[in-house]
Amino acid sequence: MTQPDNRPFAIRTYAPDQLREALKRMYLIRRFEEGAEDCYTRGLIHGTMHLSIGQEASAMATCLELTDDDKITSTHRGHGHCIAKGADVGRMFAEFFGKETGYCHGRGGSMHIADVKTGNLGANGIVGGGLPIAVGSALSAKRLCKSDVTVCFFGDGANNEGAFHEALNMAAVWKLPVVFVCENNGYGMSTSTARSTAVKHISERAASYSMPGVTVDGNDFSAVAEAVHIAVARARAGDGPSLVENLTYRWRGHSKSDRNRYRTKEEIEEWMTRDPIARFRAELIAHGLLDDAGANAIEAAAIADMEAGIEFAKVSPSPKLSEVTRYVYAEN
Amino acid sequence: MNAMTQEPASQTQDLRILSYAEAIREAMAIAMEADPTVILMGEDIGVYGGAFQVTLDLVDRFGTDRVMDTPISELGGAGVAVGAALTGLKPIFEFQFSDFAMLAMEQIVNQAAKLRYMLGGEASVPVVFRLPSGSGTGAAAQHSQSIEAWFGHVPGLKVLQPSTPEDAKGMLLAALADPDPVMIFEHKLLYKMKGHVPEGSYLTPIGKALVRRVGTDVTIVAGSIMLHRALEAAEKLSSEGINVEVIDLRSIRPIDHETILTSVRKTGRLMVVYEGVKAFGVGAEISAMVAESDAFDFLDAPILRLGAADAPVPYNPDLERASVPQVDTIEAAARRLTRREV
Amino acid sequence: MPVEVILPKVDMDMTHGTLAVWHVAPGDNVTKGAALFDIETDKAAMEVESPASGRLHAVTAKPGDKIAVGTVVALIFAEGEDVVKVAPAPLVEPTPAIGPQPVEVILPKVDMDMSHGTLAVWHAAEGDSVTEGSALFDIETDKAAMEVEAPATGTLHHLLAAPGDKVPVGDVVAYIYPAGMAVGPRPVRAAVAAPKPATAQPAESAPGSVAAPFASAAVTDSALRATPAARAAARQAGVALAEVPGTGPKGRVQRDDVAAYLDGQHSPFPAISSPVISGPAVWSPQPGPLHISTRKGQGIPLVLLHGFTADSQSWAPLEKALGPDRALIRIDLPGHGRSPRRKLRSFADLARMLVEAFDEATRAYDRVHLLGHSLGGALSIAIADIRPRTIASLSLIAPAGLGPEIDAAALTGITRATRAESLAPWLRRLTATPEGISDDYARAAMKLRADPALRAVQADMAHVLFPDGVQPFDLRPAIARIECPTALIWGRHDHILPHRHSLAPAGDFAIHLLSAAGHVPQIECPERVARIVARHLAGAMAGI
Repeated sequence: MTQPDNRPFAIRTYAPDQLREALKRMYLIRRFEEGAEDCYTRGLIHGTMHLSIGQEASAMATCLELTDDDKITSTHRGHGHCIAKGADVGRMFAEFFGKETGYCHGRGGSMHIADVKTGNLGANGIVGGGLPIAVGSALSAKRLCKSDVTVCFFGDGANNEGAFHEALNMAAVWKLPVVFVCENNGYGMSTSTARSTAVKHISERAASYSMPGVTVDGNDFSAVAEAVHIAVARARAGDGPSLVENLTYRWRGHSKSDRNRYRTKEEIEEWMTRDPIARFRAELIAHGLLDDAGANAIEAAAIADMEAGIEFAKVSPSPKLSEVTRYVYAEN
Repeated sequence: MNAMTQEPASQTQDLRILSYAEAIREAMAIAMEADPTVILMGEDIGVYGGAFQVTLDLVDRFGTDRVMDTPISELGGAGVAVGAALTGLKPIFEFQFSDFAMLAMEQIVNQAAKLRYMLGGEASVPVVFRLPSGSGTGAAAQHSQSIEAWFGHVPGLKVLQPSTPEDAKGMLLAALADPDPVMIFEHKLLYKMKGHVPEGSYLTPIGKALVRRVGTDVTIVAGSIMLHRALEAAEKLSSEGINVEVIDLRSIRPIDHETILTSVRKTGRLMVVYEGVKAFGVGAEISAMVAESDAFDFLDAPILRLGAADAPVPYNPDLERASVPQVDTIEAAARRLTRREV
Repeated sequence: MPVEVILPKVDMDMTHGTLAVWHVAPGDNVTKGAALFDIETDKAAMEVESPASGRLHAVTAKPGDKIAVGTVVALIFAEGEDVVKVAPAPLVEPTPAIGPQPVEVILPKVDMDMSHGTLAVWHAAEGDSVTEGSALFDIETDKAAMEVEAPATGTLHHLLAAPGDKVPVGDVVAYIYPAGMAVGPRPVRAAVAAPKPATAQPAESAPGSVAAPFASAAVTDSALRATPAARAAARQAGVALAEVPGTGPKGRVQRDDVAAYLDGQHSPFPAISSPVISGPAVWSPQPGPLHISTRKGQGIPLVLLHGFTADSQSWAPLEKALGPDRALIRIDLPGHGRSPRRKLRSFADLARMLVEAFDEATRAYDRVHLLGHSLGGALSIAIADIRPRTIASLSLIAPAGLGPEIDAAALTGITRATRAESLAPWLRRLTATPEGISDDYARAAMKLRADPALRAVQADMAHVLFPDGVQPFDLRPAIARIECPTALIWGRHDHILPHRHSLAPAGDFAIHLLSAAGHVPQIECPERVARIVARHLAGAMAGI
């Protein structure tokens, strides 16, 4: 008689190398965001940016099983999604620096960061903008008889947009292979979900569209991985869409102009004790997949990648001013 | 799609007469036969056949997987079409009335039009939006607008306005062959108009205006149903010795500068006739384009714009008729312009 | 390595911030996350937190400093680390406030069609003190010399034009510095304009060439109403648009007008090949009948024919004096009032047009009274001669055609005037008392003559009807043939047509010579004229 495996879902499901790589990518997200923030405060990056520090498990665990053929649609807080899906941080930094070598050739910036080759259809500056697009992407997969799934990241704010209703309804009506992943970080800019959303859990709304809905601890890597794994399997099997709600928290403000007037330091500090990276690192060590030195090496490697990325961005050329209208239309 | 005629060659082929709606339907059927990635989406385009019976029986021929009735979800529906176009399909999305496109402005303007640019040329959105538009049906303010100029303001979109059955088919096939989002404004009063339509597949070039009537005294630029009104007015004026050149605009974005400028250099007088509200419309763009060009020095009279009244489209049939340019108003304005009364 | 404390970017479009206040002092121990200092941007104030824990040193910015984003303002040293000194943060130079500027002295435009002026003499020298309003220099134009006053009080510097220089209007010729202001470097003025030959422009000025230089004439032409095509054609031909009469709406010069003008100019035998004695102006003839207006009333209607450069509205004072009951018919002469512009070959041509209009106007009546003034008087004589049975009575106010003399200068003066100032002196020639024509009246009269095409057509008429300043048509034989009761009314102080012309013709008619009246007694003293006309008409009726 075999003992039941009581280890967390991720530990018992995925290969150790895959998990260690996931930890590295989570560190990379964290260091990337910090590096971007530092460049921004030094005036090297213009515009604004929305940092996902504190939400790394949601991004990484969701993308863990996805291949490059699987698609994601991302949000304005999308750096983590992009890295989790496999993007190169050098080209991401280059984009933030507005360089021609960036993923969008300097035309998109932070809010439109995308890497189509790894299946990232793009971050979106419009709250809820990616929801119908993800459904369209899933429609393509179904019509073209592919087994790809599309994961649609969106925030708690988007669940009050009309596009949310229209997209989820159509996905359900047509049984499309799409997974709606709501990253509920508690605030749509400054307005809390309690003040903006009539249901306690956004996953409750799934019932309106006859699709499964589940709420998990978004800072628990394994919990997210398990919920998304079930939803992706259901999508690939042709059984239609699901809604997964990851409860998480952004440590930084909404954007760089946020004065943090709507939440307390105590609240932020309390969430910082639930650091998803520290938790996942401890979990890997506890289950013998990693020791402290190995973890430090992973973190150091992430820092080196980040620094190399910034260096690449700094030395990259800017777009030609004469090409301001390039990429508006297809070139023959 | 195989045949690639650059300009519709009307005279040489046998005259096959189809209606504007039939021509559009034929184009969709040809495209769907040739390319399995072409799908139709829209409200009530299946067994109902579309609000104006343009899709008619296509659902019987291609099935509900390719002729998809959407829920009444213009924003979501348009967004699904954009997402599908981004990932390998070529959707033709029919708005039941062009007025309803306003519910989907987000997806058309913020997403479809900008995705290629935002992503630095790494993505393509080959979606076609079909938009029945225009007044004259008694459907009043929310079902009669001509909002094509709105989209003329958006880089990344292409905006077409076929005026004949031949162009309606050729432009739809050209739009499907185009890698960028294309909006085709079809005038509801033209759906039943009959005309010669060549067989098989051909592409009407996008961004190319056409001189439909050669003249010397004044240039009238008009598109869609206004072309026919301008041609009728020109015919009447010819008996008075006024020789009107009439240009079918065909494409609002991109706009064919050279055909218009060449004509203005010849006639020295320009009138732009369009069904959208006069202010901030197609006429403003064309007038300004001419004023900024070297053709300015050839202008021998002020430029005139004839557009819709500064009001929503009214219900009362007389008011409705009066609110947009008609043959007699075009005729009178062209007469005043050529008789030096303006 | 100490941790750098920088002035952070906290706003989307922020490039600089002002350090408002330090919450800690150099040497203080700080903890990561503690408030270090406040910054102020255009939009808001914001607290900046410490990026690390340690001891704060090397503070290089003080409250009030405006500093670029990313600049290091302090360092945080870890326990035991050596403290190093650094240079103060570079301040952003405040934009210098716009201080007092020297006042430009420009070459002013003192004439309507002036594009250049020649500086004749300076009344003040470099470094002189000048007071606002004092004479600064003289300029000469084609027409006049004029003194230019100082636009401000101060010291004159940088005299950029010397006596004899031809300077474009609007160019700066000197600067006046207010007291106490430092004198700046001497600015450079563009080269003095060379006189331009009045020949055709070089090929570069053809339409279509973007950088085409405008002909010098274009400077003054810019205020004219002309289409772009006409301007291009004029530019190409080297023609001053001002000379081309416009036939478009509001006198707009159109392409055809320039072509017609050039045709007229370049015709090898203008006077011989064309029977029309044409002035310099060319306009397009218009179709349609002469304008007739009527006032319903009692009795046999009175037909009114106005004079040269007037119109039917000029009858208003007399009509008022005649009272409201009489039926009236007024005819506008061609090229006048609301009648179309017509080409004339001769007085006989004009008379035929008027007979045609008279027939049309009087179709419903067996008989009418006829009254004409000046040229309208001559035409009345002609009509009465041709249609004797229709005329119940003839009243003539200072009629033309009874002698060769006429004040041609006044006629051309009126047709040529483009401004109230130039029209007023000629209008004053029309009346016995010049002070009766006020400037306001002249302005109102000029408004009615604003259309250049109207002026051009009337100038042409003057050429045809009064060539070389004489009246070539002689109506003395005609008036001698008239049998209906006829009255002549003439001001004794008529400067246009001498009242003695009334004495020349043979015929049985009454002559009323009005004292203290000029060429337009029906306007100068309408009641007196009305009384004479009323009695004349009543007498004529009594005689039937």
